[in-house]
Amino acid sequence: MSGTYHSTVSEVRLTFFTTDQHAQGRAQLKKDDFAVVDNGLVVRDFRSFSRSDVTQLDVLLLVDSSKSVLPRFRQEITDVLRLVSQTTSIADDHISIVSFGGMEPRILCAGNCRGAPAEAQLAAATADGQTPLFDAVLFAANFLAKHHDPAARPVLILFSDGEDTISRSSASDAIAAVLTSEAQIYAVDLGNAQSLSNGTVTLQNMAAATGGRYFAIREGAVKVLSSVLEDLHTGYIVTYRLPSRTAGFHWVRILPTRNLNLQFRCRRGYHYASAVR
Amino acid sequence: MKRVLFLFLVFCSLSNLLLAQSRVHQHGTIVRMRMAPCLLAPHGFMAALSGTSRQQDTGELCPEYVLVADKVVFVIVGKTSNAIVPLAETTAFRLQNNELLVRIDDERHETRFTIREMVLRSEWGRVHPSVVEETGDPPRHHMETALDAETQR
Repeated sequence: MSGTYHSTVSEVRLTFFTTDQHAQGRAQLKKDDFAVVDNGLVVRDFRSFSRSDVTQLDVLLLVDSSKSVLPRFRQEITDVLRLVSQTTSIADDHISIVSFGGMEPRILCAGNCRGAPAEAQLAAATADGQTPLFDAVLFAANFLAKHHDPAARPVLILFSDGEDTISRSSASDAIAAVLTSEAQIYAVDLGNAQSLSNGTVTLQNMAAATGGRYFAIREGAVKVLSSVLEDLHTGYIVTYRLPSRTAGFHWVRILPTRNLNLQFRCRRGYHYASAVR
Repeated sequence: MKRVLFLFLVFCSLSNLLLAQSRVHQHGTIVRMRMAPCLLAPHGFMAALSGTSRQQDTGELCPEYVLVADKVVFVIVGKTSNAIVPLAETTAFRLQNNELLVRIDDERHETRFTIREMVLRSEWGRVHPSVVEETGDPPRHHMETALDAETQR
């Protein structure tokens, strides 16, 4: 919830995306086409509503290099390399790659990921060790928050099978950190797409909670990148008066007021720290 | 013979009138929505009115709405997790067989809801003070506009 953590305590600022029945981004959304449900309260009276004016992306590619992804690791690396090579519209200093496998996440490159050294480092990577997925997501979220450019939308593209084996943090900790960083997770599932595993559910939940998307690895890097770019150009921002001063996590959902074919995607909520009266 | 025919016509007219009246929609505003346990079976009108009925839930979550009409506040629960209704400022609905039917696009498309609770609007604040504190009283003019539209129809 962009702005929720920084703006006045009486206003909520929410970035969201919408698609129609053909899963196409909708360019002509009107203010009265949707309502926000904030902690159960239906909000229709908005302070402002506009297209998002953010045109830059700040992308962090989080690459699972643990032993559990070994069967698909080469495909994963190929996809990561292809994705980096196709992000020509994104500034060099707005792309970073972090890998995780073993005990700690490792920064492979930060701002210089298009050069030959980074490519060579990625190509030489091997899959080994445990999967500290939640720790890595938390690390990535903090990294994005620390390097946050207000003019860019932070995006975390996560390649993993979703099966955490060793993290000190929980899934909730990881999601909370991503919500704080205002990033969205685009999860690419390296697991077996034929069955609905716990890892798949974890990745789907992470993507949904942050207003991002979920992909199977077979959909390919091009699809992931085009979705990220589509979201960049079809996002909306709505602001409204804080409907309830109940401290804690406020669940948020956007629903249509007329056309039930409209689908809305936004982060699942925000923390309201204290009841100021 | 004429008398029989006359009575038959009167009977037909009355049944048509009753049928038409049963299709007349009321209007209200949905002020709250949350996911709540689905209900297994519809329960009695009186139980809903008293708000004291005990309901068995299925373990699934279904959308629950607070619908504020002119005189009555309804707490309704969808029969499936997909029972999403448009959250327009005015919602058209009607009551039928202890259920509340919400109109979606037109009168041919309605979604059935189980009524979990019915409270007089004047009593709503006393029964659910915390909810009223959060939502406030829904704007009266929405109701009046809705009622005017219905009268003109």
